[in-house]
Amino acid sequence: MIWESWGAFWSMGGRGFFVWGSYGVLAIAVIAELIALRAARKRATKTLNESHHDH
Amino acid sequence: MSLAVAMKAVFAREITLFARRKSDWANPLMFFLIVCSLFPFAVGSESEKLKLIGIGAVFVGALLAAMLALPRLFDEDAKDGSLEHLLTSPEPLAALILARVAAISLAIALPLALATPVFSLFYALPTDVALMLALSVLLAVPTLILVGAIASALLVSARGGAILTAVLVLPLTIPTLIFGAGAALKVLFGESPAAEIALQTAYFLFALALCPVAAAAALRISTD
Amino acid sequence: MARTEQQSNERSKARSNRASNPSPSIPLPEGEGSVEPTFTSVNVGNARAERFSGRWFWRFASPAAFYPLAGTIEKLCWFVAIALTIIGLYIGFFRAPTDATQGEVYRVIYIHVPAAWMAMVIYLAMAFWSALGLAFGTRLSFMMSHALAPTGAMMAAISLWTGALWGRPTWGTYWVWDARLTSTLILFFLYIGYIALAAAFDDKKKGDRASALIALVGAVNVPIIYFSVQWWNTLHQGASVRPGGSSMASTMLTAMMVMTFAFWAYCVAVAMHRVRTQIIERERDAKWLAGVKQ
Repeated sequence: MIWESWGAFWSMGGRGFFVWGSYGVLAIAVIAELIALRAARKRATKTLNESHHDH
Repeated sequence: MSLAVAMKAVFAREITLFARRKSDWANPLMFFLIVCSLFPFAVGSESEKLKLIGIGAVFVGALLAAMLALPRLFDEDAKDGSLEHLLTSPEPLAALILARVAAISLAIALPLALATPVFSLFYALPTDVALMLALSVLLAVPTLILVGAIASALLVSARGGAILTAVLVLPLTIPTLIFGAGAALKVLFGESPAAEIALQTAYFLFALALCPVAAAAALRISTD
Repeated sequence: MARTEQQSNERSKARSNRASNPSPSIPLPEGEGSVEPTFTSVNVGNARAERFSGRWFWRFASPAAFYPLAGTIEKLCWFVAIALTIIGLYIGFFRAPTDATQGEVYRVIYIHVPAAWMAMVIYLAMAFWSALGLAFGTRLSFMMSHALAPTGAMMAAISLWTGALWGRPTWGTYWVWDARLTSTLILFFLYIGYIALAAAFDDKKKGDRASALIALVGAVNVPIIYFSVQWWNTLHQGASVRPGGSSMASTMLTAMMVMTFAFWAYCVAVAMHRVRTQIIERERDAKWLAGVKQ
């Protein structure tokens, strides 16, 4: 372990805002994309099942 | 009818239309004038400051003014049905589009280029810089109209065409913006602008070779 | 989970079909046997494509045949992406040393550079699928293109955001008109244009071909834009100092490469998921889809 403590890890030599701001936004973007993917799939299968029901 | 005759006919038709409806080329010119006069209100009237932003302001103003002419390419023809004539012509569509782009470039780029040295006076630009800027505009506006032909051909039948045209076209004009304004900057700094002129001409020729073909394909897609 | 079971079912079916039938039939997702093996002629529907229809890869030009394959690829890529992210972040944060000049903030590189690369690679992939779609009229190519675009735009945005946050402590400002950041910004505009254009048509087929054309026009311009921005950058401010530079410790480089592959796998997985959703949407009336439920 190159960090003296978890506190040192989170502070990133005083640049924590910039490092975690970058990783945080990436995490948010990925989660948002995954939610969007799920929602789109749900919508698609719903209309699919309805349209097959109609036939 | 041979190809040359057909192209000449398309060209002549456009020029006649411009001669009849003067607002088609006069409106972009007025827009250009107003945009050029706005910047000093925002940055102040000291001539040293103005000189630095002048090249960029005038050049971007000319490009935005030329954007206004893009609906003139296909949209009006699509409305009144004359686009069908272009599409059903036995001549290659790309050549006819080229003739049309040439006419519109002439009617739009020439007035804008002629006005450029005059509007440059607002920014206290030296005469040689102003003339260089005029040459840049003369090369940049036809490039923009060539690229714009692809976008407006695609958007003939789409929703929200005007704004989307700007979104599609403006990023692709960045090279010509860099080289065109760069040439004028070089003159301002007393250096040779040869490289920038050559690169801008190259980009223009590149657009000239590819854009009519791409625009023809685009028109076929959107009017399918 | 029911879904996992169903997918492994698909996979084994696809495998057995490929192995046994010389003219393979489409595997149905939920065990109802198979429909007629007509997809090469019906679905590819283009004279040039017909000519190649004997080749194995054209099999997957058919959405019906590609659907289960995409599912398999997606699952594999999720696994790879998660595993490599854990490995890459471990190396990057717990093995790689502090940078001599920049301190700890350089650790943004593990996501900034992969995101920038993916933004570039995805645009090229989009242009590739668009060209294929325009040349052969294969619906699946357009779907691939559409599936890649949102992730590509996201990667460009992430690259810009992390670049800004990295720039602040390194250069003193959030935004520098550095050649690479500027090029990524323009690439982001190109993505926006593509996505907006694809959405502007009510007629899906028209939107497919129109956006494919604009992707190609963009791809032709990308090298010119990169060159001109480079030119402009040296003209106006001289070469700027790049964070990271060439003197990276090998552990840093390892972590960055591992993260790049993780990003790659993530992008493929997301694109595959989106393609499958689009297949469900667009092939709504196809018989083979009747069994797909979730």
